[in-house]
Amino acid sequence: MQEIHAGEKPLKRIYVSVFLWFTGRAIQAAAKTDKEVKKEFDALPDDFTFALGCLPNGPWMVVGKENGRVKYLGSNPNIRRLHIRLVIKSLDAAFLILSFQESTALATTRNRLMTDGEVPYALSVIRILDIVEVYLLPKIIASLAVKRYPSWWSMGRKFGGRIGVYTRTVLGI
Amino acid sequence: MNLSAGYTFTCPFKTNSGNKALEHLPVELSSLNAFKPLIITSLNLTGRRAIRTLINAFGDSGMTMGVFDEITCNADLNVIEQIKDIFVKGQYDSIIALGGGVVVDAAKIVNLAVSQKTADARQLSGETDICGPLGPLVMVPTAAVTGMETSKYAVLNKKTFVSISLMPNLVILDPRLTRAKDSKTTAEAGIAAFGRSLEAYIAPDKNPFMDAYAFAALRFIRENLVLAENKSCNKKASLAVANAAVMSGCVISNTGQSVLHRLGQVFQNIIQVHPGVIIGMCLRPFLDDYVKKDSHLVSALFHPLAGDDKYAATPEAKRTDEVLKDLYIFLDEIYGVLKGKMPRTINEAGIPRYLMDDIFEVINKEPDGAYLRTIIERVS
Repeated sequence: MQEIHAGEKPLKRIYVSVFLWFTGRAIQAAAKTDKEVKKEFDALPDDFTFALGCLPNGPWMVVGKENGRVKYLGSNPNIRRLHIRLVIKSLDAAFLILSFQESTALATTRNRLMTDGEVPYALSVIRILDIVEVYLLPKIIASLAVKRYPSWWSMGRKFGGRIGVYTRTVLGI
Repeated sequence: MNLSAGYTFTCPFKTNSGNKALEHLPVELSSLNAFKPLIITSLNLTGRRAIRTLINAFGDSGMTMGVFDEITCNADLNVIEQIKDIFVKGQYDSIIALGGGVVVDAAKIVNLAVSQKTADARQLSGETDICGPLGPLVMVPTAAVTGMETSKYAVLNKKTFVSISLMPNLVILDPRLTRAKDSKTTAEAGIAAFGRSLEAYIAPDKNPFMDAYAFAALRFIRENLVLAENKSCNKKASLAVANAAVMSGCVISNTGQSVLHRLGQVFQNIIQVHPGVIIGMCLRPFLDDYVKKDSHLVSALFHPLAGDDKYAATPEAKRTDEVLKDLYIFLDEIYGVLKGKMPRTINEAGIPRYLMDDIFEVINKEPDGAYLRTIIERVS
């Protein structure tokens, strides 16, 4: 008989934290660069805030609207009232999804994701995340992450938007 | 199916199956209001690797858990009392059974003892009143299962406990744990699940839920058992067999005590032989008799076993012959892969005469003991 304390998974935690931090800033950038993302956010309430993260101890990414502008609000989900909480059940599941070993759709079918909040808001967030992933990732990887890769996008939107999103994400503007 | 007669069906557990399903355990436990589990397992029967995989799944959860890995094949109520004391002193709030057979039976009885605050677990017996829901019990099966893990039965040292409350709250099937070290282990678990599901599927009193569970279990086994035996590294096939075993446990909890299941249990209780071995032996004579009784019910087996296309293409009058042909080919395939590792008759199993006398003594006490005896005699 022995009593064991659950160990840590520092490398996976660092990877997921960095990914969420970068994606959060990219959403902020995409809301200024891409018309479709802007339109999605415009349709949401003025103080709309959502968090994406994993149970039981995070990490989290919080994005919200402030005075009509979209902002990455850090990694503390208790910072303000959340309209939507997208929860991945474990750090390992988050790693599978965020390292593109599993698409969001596949992860949902495998019962790895939970949504806490209104479904229409959640669908808006998923659409925004899909667009941001298309900007951030090369086609071969983004195809694994999103349900349908938008082949109908013009080259100008794809490459122009990509430069805009990356520049704003890195500079944090 | 006669629905006007009414029916009941109970499946109280949630099943979580698939790649990295084990990693969901901390969240699933917290949804059961459990934060400090006691893992009950056997180092010899389950293996060090499986225990390590389970503990690693808790990584980053901040949980503390106890591990009791000293369950043996001969576990009795003294061990239950010992685990009960550990549970109470360690202030654990849930039980995780890792493995199959005796490990899960012991976990069910420990859960009974701690939930009902039994003063002395050694006083527990089949007559003990089991009332109300018990504490959270999670089952994590490995390849070495009997198919009874998810059932309402728990058998320990020839004492049988029966209650729907004994069934687990959560079953987690992870392909990292369901791969067997040898083909015999897979075959035993698969045949046990197959036999029980088959009996439920052709039972005249089956209901739509039993039908659905048994159908899925039969098809999973038919499509995957030989593959899982041949290639123990095939995660998909071994996971399908484990799923079928889980479903068969639920099915058997909702059916009356069936012929193949009872024969398997009698042999397991008296000589500790895996019920799959006996069910495999008795399947052929049982079906031969059943065809004479009701060939229409047997013909229904053609659908889960042969597949949709073949079922639709075969006229109803020919389905009984076809299903028996298909089933016997399937059994030959299973035993063919094992190359004599699993006996096909009582003589091949080398069960001594004096033990057979004990078995017949138990069988004769059954209401249909004479019939059960004829089946055993035909496979001797």
